[in-house]
Amino acid sequence: MKINKYLELHKRGILSLLLLGAFLLSLTYIPWSSDLIHAGGRSTINEVIRSFFNPDLSPHLLRIGFIASWQTLAYAVASIALALIIAIFLGVLSSGVLFESVFIKTFCRGLLGFMRAIHELIWAWLFVAAIGLSPLAAMFALAIPYGGILGRIFSDLMQDVETPQILALKTSGASPMQQLFYGYFPASFANMLSYTMYRLECAVRSSSILSFVGLGGLGFQIQISLSDLKYNEVWTFLFFLVILVVLIDIWSNLLRRRLSQ
Amino acid sequence: MTSKKVLELKNISVAFDSNKVLSNLSLSINNGEIIALIGPSGAGKTTLINIVANIIQPDSGEMLIDGVPSISINNRKEYAKKIGVIRQQFDLINQLPVIHNVLAGRLNQWGVLKSILSLIRPQEKYLAKNALSRVGIIDKMFEKTANLSGGEQQRVALARLLVQNPEIVLADEPVSSLDPARANSILSLLVDLVKEENQTLIVSLHSVEYLKKYFTRVIAMRDGKIYFDLPIDKVKEEDLKAVYDLEVTS
Repeated sequence: MKINKYLELHKRGILSLLLLGAFLLSLTYIPWSSDLIHAGGRSTINEVIRSFFNPDLSPHLLRIGFIASWQTLAYAVASIALALIIAIFLGVLSSGVLFESVFIKTFCRGLLGFMRAIHELIWAWLFVAAIGLSPLAAMFALAIPYGGILGRIFSDLMQDVETPQILALKTSGASPMQQLFYGYFPASFANMLSYTMYRLECAVRSSSILSFVGLGGLGFQIQISLSDLKYNEVWTFLFFLVILVVLIDIWSNLLRRRLSQ
Repeated sequence: MTSKKVLELKNISVAFDSNKVLSNLSLSINNGEIIALIGPSGAGKTTLINIVANIIQPDSGEMLIDGVPSISINNRKEYAKKIGVIRQQFDLINQLPVIHNVLAGRLNQWGVLKSILSLIRPQEKYLAKNALSRVGIIDKMFEKTANLSGGEQQRVALARLLVQNPEIVLADEPVSSLDPARANSILSLLVDLVKEENQTLIVSLHSVEYLKKYFTRVIAMRDGKIYFDLPIDKVKEEDLKAVYDLEVTS
């Protein structure tokens, strides 16, 4: 009885101790030899760290950086625009706001799940195979999984709109389409917007990875500089990427503040 | 004031999960009556209002609106011309400017395109203007609804009802979240507007203090049945006490 009570009180502490023990035990299984870490790596790391403090800020490279940032932003915005169209269309249908049909709801929900279950890199491979190395392929590759993610979020946001408000619209004779525009959209707009802006940040990041598909922009420049082992140039472009994401964040905050007034 | 029957309930029963909420309820209401619906919590006031508002379907019984069976009015837009509902202020879309919440009362007349267009460029603006000046907040027309006080929001809901202009107005505890002074002014405004428009009003209340001042008839409910249904001058203090009495089990 007493032991039971003791266990009940300290079960979390006991679990933590057990897990810590397992971790310590696992350390003894590691072959602690010099092969563990690639020996030549150290100098590379030093080089990378040194160029972090010493990025290439020559006017020529900065010009390339600006143009590349602009391209990256343009691709990201275009992809998000495409994703938004998909998301609003499928999100509304899968929320069941317009049609109560379980079939439509489940089908659209499934479609959204399918789109976002596959990573943008894999979509990119598929589209490159289908339409070749082109910016269009990369934009589709981004828009499809992002549309799937945004659509799911939009659908959930609309389902969370409080029922009294919608009920009031119903009793004043609003059709489902009118309820959408006078109830569901305005009530969830602020959250939709802020999540879309967050996704725009992600799209900026991802479009730099997708440069291999033929997207120009920061990712492409980083790739070139990396293959030349010019780490100071790599850092310059990475700083551009960071600044871009921070600027989008600031923009998003300004928009949200204006909406909440 | 004609004594045309605008609403008739015949043997209405509703049960939720085999729990009888309304049993065999019958009522008849004439045009222009100002009715208070009172009773303790769980008496079935809100359920009754939701049935008349076509939000809940009764398990059995029949409802006639203007002599027409309610089930034959299968169109929501047609129904909205007959019956309008006002609740606590929480049923406005807070993120929209006041004018769009008011014009939402017009959605039963508008098509989809016109209502979407109205969000960009308000349609039939004079209706909103007129309604808002009647409820005394014309200066708030373009303000965001969320920034209004509780009393002001309830005035917006009244303005929406004016624009909708139904024959029967149902009010479900319209003042329960307001302080006494504001509750009084909203209730008096509601009753005045309904009289001006020659509408019929049914208000559910959780307190009895306003009965004598505004209402012509009192319907008291208890345990899903009508406990008494009297013109206001026949209602006695004992009756009111008995409705809320914990000891009496109908």
